[in-house]
Amino acid sequence: MREEQNNPEAKASIKQTSSTTSVTQPLADIFETQEGATLYIDLPGVDKESLNIDVDKDVLSIKGKIALDIPDGLEATYMDIRSGRYERHFTLGEELDSHNIQADFKQGELKLFIPRSERHKPRKIEIKTG
Amino acid sequence: MISEMLRFPFSMLDEDIEKLFYQDSFQSRGRYGRGNYPAINIGATDKSVKVYMFIPGIKTEDLDVVIEKNMLSVSGERVLPEADERKGATYRRERFSGPFKRTITLPDSVDADTAEAIYKNGVLHISIAKHVESEPRQIKISVQ
Repeated sequence: MREEQNNPEAKASIKQTSSTTSVTQPLADIFETQEGATLYIDLPGVDKESLNIDVDKDVLSIKGKIALDIPDGLEATYMDIRSGRYERHFTLGEELDSHNIQADFKQGELKLFIPRSERHKPRKIEIKTG
Repeated sequence: MISEMLRFPFSMLDEDIEKLFYQDSFQSRGRYGRGNYPAINIGATDKSVKVYMFIPGIKTEDLDVVIEKNMLSVSGERVLPEADERKGATYRRERFSGPFKRTITLPDSVDADTAEAIYKNGVLHISIAKHVESEPRQIKISVQ
């Protein structure tokens, strides 16, 4: 995970967000338990260095650049993936603790775990019998 | 009501605006159904054909890549972690799961014996050299 400010490329990509230039929205699965929320996001072609995850207020942003080993002079003959970037935003509920997100990224598959903040975890009330 | 609220901590950031901005990707998302996974990009240089298959998070031993005649096919099965429905809930399930197979036709000019495959960052890169004789040749014209 990197801070937006330290990455000039990320700054440039923010500008492009407002235009309709090609960005692929990566596919995601979201599960939730009482412990927190788990997101899986497919980002094939992105390496760890060009993956950017940040939270601004309650918005979680995931951005990644597709970096393939492309030889000089390669001419595309068929393309399912036409854009070079992935980008997707999620709004986090206030019960999630965005300061303690755990990220794991392997072979283009990102797993994020966002714990539910302590005060939002369900608590069992003990009943004392007198 | 409290439990209802707790059930929906996630929501898309203004879905309508997203649709407006990312219309292209929304359309392409629908295209990747069964039979259209994995996404594939293909390119060629003078010397070789390159195939990029976007198959995130799979073990290479679960992938089968075969070239037969001039057909390149990739097959496998993607098993995704299941949500424990007793303990929680599923909000989105967009990623492909299950068995898949995709076949592409290679140009006749490739030499299947030279095929090499590398799996990196969730993309399978396949490189196949073209036959030497398929490089452009100048034909001499003799006058009679």
